[in-house]
Amino acid sequence: MNVIDAHAHLGRWFNFAIPDGSAESLLAVMDRCGVAQACVSHLLAVGPDARAGNALLVADLARYPGRLLGYAVYQPHDPEAGARLRDLLDVPGMAGVKLHPDVHEAELDAPAYAEAFEIAAERGVPVLSHGQYGSPWSDPARFAAVGPRYPALPVLMGHAGLWPEGFAAAARAAAAAPNLVLETCGSRMTARHLVRLVREVGAERIAFGSDAVFLDLRVGLGRVRLAELSEADRAQILYGTMKGLL
Amino acid sequence: MRVVDVNRILGPVPHDDVPGRDAAGLRGELDRLRIDEAWVVHSHAVYGDPLTVPPVEEDRLLAVPAVIPGPLGTGELPPVPVVRLYPAAHRFSLGDDGSDHHDDGARLLRLLGERRTVTLVDWEQLDAAGRRRLSRRPGMPPLVLTGTGYRSLRELAGLLARCEHLHVDTSTLCGHRQVEWAAERFGAHRVLFGTGSPLTDDAGPRFQLDHLDLPAADVARIAAGNADRLLREAGGAHAAGERGSRTGGSPTGRSRTGGREAGG
Repeated sequence: MNVIDAHAHLGRWFNFAIPDGSAESLLAVMDRCGVAQACVSHLLAVGPDARAGNALLVADLARYPGRLLGYAVYQPHDPEAGARLRDLLDVPGMAGVKLHPDVHEAELDAPAYAEAFEIAAERGVPVLSHGQYGSPWSDPARFAAVGPRYPALPVLMGHAGLWPEGFAAAARAAAAAPNLVLETCGSRMTARHLVRLVREVGAERIAFGSDAVFLDLRVGLGRVRLAELSEADRAQILYGTMKGLL
Repeated sequence: MRVVDVNRILGPVPHDDVPGRDAAGLRGELDRLRIDEAWVVHSHAVYGDPLTVPPVEEDRLLAVPAVIPGPLGTGELPPVPVVRLYPAAHRFSLGDDGSDHHDDGARLLRLLGERRTVTLVDWEQLDAAGRRRLSRRPGMPPLVLTGTGYRSLRELAGLLARCEHLHVDTSTLCGHRQVEWAAERFGAHRVLFGTGSPLTDDAGPRFQLDHLDLPAADVARIAAGNADRLLREAGGAHAAGERGSRTGGSPTGRSRTGGREAGG
């Protein structure tokens, strides 16, 4: 099966240690457990320097065409973010837009991100945003608010709400906005939570993501591989949903 | 490969409906994930009445009592090979000074050390003083830090580097290649397979175990060998020769007759 990881990263992060955040390290783990492609953003771009981090991503996409697909990080505080996003989406292998409202301290449904959604809709590429239940920036309710504004644009809710108490809210948001897709990574997600989400929203609304190199790709993949799901639903989550968005 | 999950809760939990709400359900989960045995603390000890805990009468499960020191604690230390401590949840101190014989927490740790009782403590149950306390030598029991979290690797690495008696479970050692990093840096003998289920996922760590980038001998140590070794080294009334006796029936009891060999 050509597993696609819908949510991964390259690089390192400030408030905890990632011993090796290189593309080579990620690819080695992908090879070890049978993941064909990973959709990645660079952590430097998610954090303080979108311009420099996106440039690092472009270089890694060129080195590993076909294995790595890119999310260009849109930095809402950069006055030139729109033009930069358009240029980045012209780069071969750049497959979507990454937003992180909690890092940017900007509400997902606020005007600060409107241009990012508009450009993504115009280019026909998905948007992946961090989604965190209870967050003032990225609560599932904000996905439910923004989704209907761009009905033809696939919007991936990263972490499906992140906390176990937020998974039901994520499912409600998905019910309210048909273009929302729930992505599965997070250290608090379990296989039984995933089974419930499939029951509530359907496998076609769920995409496997690992959050590597934050998290270990194998842990996120194993959650799907060993969950009590039908093989058809498992294949849909591991491959079909994301394939349909790319 | 034999697999022992050293970090598991048996019984219902207040915030979710879980398969391991009873022994039959937990057995089904272990079968499904090809886990041979599990060290289990009962949910009543964690979320209910630590003084009145249902027996664990199930092959493949090693009952791990939650021990509380002091006059309102769980009483005399039971003759078991493994205990768990919940200083935050059960509101007790591990003691500020190991030389203070009048400190309940310090006295408990000293007794556990004398018996070489394997002692599991969840990372989030410890404040900074507690972590310093457990890193103090000599006299400490073999300690397994559970639920350390991928974000705590820097602090955890410092503790593991300084303290040979500290071990770590894999339940939330879920950052990118963190299991390999810990095993290569500190030795695979310091890492034990644990899931933290049902609070954290069991399927992911189990899959990861089958796909570790480590020598097969190291993977076997992590999967079960280290757990078995710590049990063997636990002295006194719970020597290895007594394994298999089913005492059950109390927080101090254990039921363990050895597990089946699972394929793969």
